[in-house]
Amino acid sequence: MENLHYFGAALGLGAIVIGAGLGIGRLAAAAAEGIARQPEASDKITAAVNLPLFLLEGVAILGEVFALLIVLMK
Amino acid sequence: MSVAAEYGPTGAGGVMDHVGDNIISHVSNSSLEHPLIPLPHIFGIDFSVTKHVLMLWIVSILVSFAVIIPIRKLLKQDKPIPTGWMNALEAVVKFLRDSIIKPNVGNKFADTWAPMILTFFFFILFANGIGLIPIFDIIGSINRFIFNVPASDQHNFINTLLHGSPTATGNFNVTAGLAMITFFSIVIAGTKAHGFFTHWKNMVPPGLAWPVYIILIPIEIIGLLVKPFALTMRLAANMTGGHIAILAILSFMAIFADIFQSVFAGVGMAFISVPMAVAINGLEIIVILVQAYVFTLLSSVFIGMAINVHH
Repeated sequence: MENLHYFGAALGLGAIVIGAGLGIGRLAAAAAEGIARQPEASDKITAAVNLPLFLLEGVAILGEVFALLIVLMK
Repeated sequence: MSVAAEYGPTGAGGVMDHVGDNIISHVSNSSLEHPLIPLPHIFGIDFSVTKHVLMLWIVSILVSFAVIIPIRKLLKQDKPIPTGWMNALEAVVKFLRDSIIKPNVGNKFADTWAPMILTFFFFILFANGIGLIPIFDIIGSINRFIFNVPASDQHNFINTLLHGSPTATGNFNVTAGLAMITFFSIVIAGTKAHGFFTHWKNMVPPGLAWPVYIILIPIEIIGLLVKPFALTMRLAANMTGGHIAILAILSFMAIFADIFQSVFAGVGMAFISVPMAVAINGLEIIVILVQAYVFTLLSSVFIGMAINVHH
């Protein structure tokens, strides 16, 4: 039972990947759809998508760092 | 890779115990027990130069030669017409100014903050990029196999260079320093635009019922501190994570050779893991560009939030 922290870190990593994948996927889908409907607005759509994308990525990276800390520091 | 040879023949622990140490020693700073240039303690702080400090110096020299000196030379010319390398620099600077700094910081203060944000971009880009080049491993191999310096010789300067990763931005302390510059820039930008007390008042919208402020003020204070923390974590974790992925995939060779107790399993695995590592290196080239872009974008967004208050 003393190795349970590996289990927790692995589960946490899986949850992070699911969450970040869903979030980034929704953003990319909406951006692609918007550009397909209105190709001339692609610059504005890309600029608007960038910031939430990176904030989302930051949260996912934070989760990964804490999962790594669970493994390294127990 | 190079450190793995120092462990020699694997003992009872097997390869698996050494793989983790090898990866960690390739993505972390070199240890304080064996500094590259030993310096004395001043006020209880160890000033010895470790690998990441050396890499910061190298990056500053590179940025000076690649960016600062060409721009100074251009400004001294009679007709400022860019040639060669300056064309590329000008394209990057113009892109950053027009698509990041001006929309986020605003036209009024764009020229005030553009130098700092551009410095962030070039410094982070060069520091990230130099970490992808395994120059020290190549120098170490030449030192080991051509000049026959044993790995156990800890006083050989090139052997001490092999400890630690060359990615200075993969160190949380380096990125924390960069994020602290952003943090103080946010405060200074707000103070310059609105005055000291108005800047702190601007953190919360005025004219709400008083119970809202009890919730809102702590949230805004936490948000103030989370911004640089997230910048720190994002850059360092991205750089460390990519390198761990590359090294883990390369370590499959040693792991498979150990599992099947044969050299051929390791060599066979090389045909799978080396192309995968090359592919992840290609991904890393995108990541270093994106991370430098993200740090500049978020810095300018945060500075712009302090300047353009919407209420």
